Amino acid sequence: MILAAAMNPEAFSGAQDAIVRMRRGDPDALTAVISRYQHRLYRYLLRLVREPAAADDLFQQTWLRVMEKIGRYDARRNFESWLFSVAHNLAVDAWRGKRGESLDETVDFGEAPDDRLHAGHPDALERLLDFERGAMLAACMQALPGIHREVLTLRYEEDMKLEEIAQVAGIPLSTVKSRLRRALEGLRAAMEARSPGRKGA
Amino acid sequence: MSEHEVVAAMLPLAPSGALDAQEQRRLEEHCRECAACRRELEIWSGYSQGLRQLPQPPIPAQLMERTRTRLVQEHAAAADRRWDEWMLGALALFAWTVGLTFWFVARIVTGGELVIMGANLVRFGTWSAGSTVMVWLTAAVAAIALGRRRRELRRAL
Repeated sequence: MILAAAMNPEAFSGAQDAIVRMRRGDPDALTAVISRYQHRLYRYLLRLVREPAAADDLFQQTWLRVMEKIGRYDARRNFESWLFSVAHNLAVDAWRGKRGESLDETVDFGEAPDDRLHAGHPDALERLLDFERGAMLAACMQALPGIHREVLTLRYEEDMKLEEIAQVAGIPLSTVKSRLRRALEGLRAAMEARSPGRKGA
Repeated sequence: MSEHEVVAAMLPLAPSGALDAQEQRRLEEHCRECAACRRELEIWSGYSQGLRQLPQPPIPAQLMERTRTRLVQEHAAAADRRWDEWMLGALALFAWTVGLTFWFVARIVTGGELVIMGANLVRFGTWSAGSTVMVWLTAAVAAIALGRRRRELRRAL
């Protein structure tokens, strides 16, 4: 639905108009722009930092920074890429502020509820509904390093082109491709580890 | 590296449209002949589809309202800061004007000579040096006070 709205020319034109009005300091336009991007921005930040409280704070900081820098935003540039790059930079700064954590870090979440429920059943995955499979994928994604979670969410959930992802993360296109491949391989390895004997889980 | 290995490395990216036209053609040609790669491609397509349909996280309550409130507060704080800066500039200008006026008055009253500890205070150079020191000292005190207030505002936000 989010993608459909983004692809709708009228909605796109409305968003552009709201961004132009926001640059002029129109508070109603700001509300419209936040409303339009709130779900996607929050989801991106949550995938990146994993903690809802941190994502909530970064969400607010992102809009503060957007208002601070909107005058310098080049209207020829894609607003979404710019917005997400602002959020990315804030998340990276927040990460740097935390001792011993980095975007390269992997997390072991241990045995997930799904594993406990279905342990010992060789045909467990066959009985999983789509939602459960999605939940398992999301759980495995959580264990990947932040840089891998980021490319996955930007590519598959935000439907960004590789060039846009490169802009958001501030990395070369070749690095985006290699990160995406490693992220997918890591995700598959995590899924297969959760479902031993099910290659291609 | 064999053709199979090269194509196998491309397979994870294929369903997400991350291959260029040449890579895509190479992969398609190889997959026509290679059942193992076709099977792998199907698996990666499943991952691609699954990632596009991940459960969506619920947005926290009143996130938008809280963000708007914070923006309004920050906007007000920024307006205060701009006002403070403007006031600081205006006060500095006012101080210079007052200093210059007093210099004129002092020169008229003293006939151009007011010597204290060997220095003629109503000489333009001495007077402007004294005024500059006074203005900068006042500005420094004001800036420290404003900086403290700004930090308090940030903490409050």
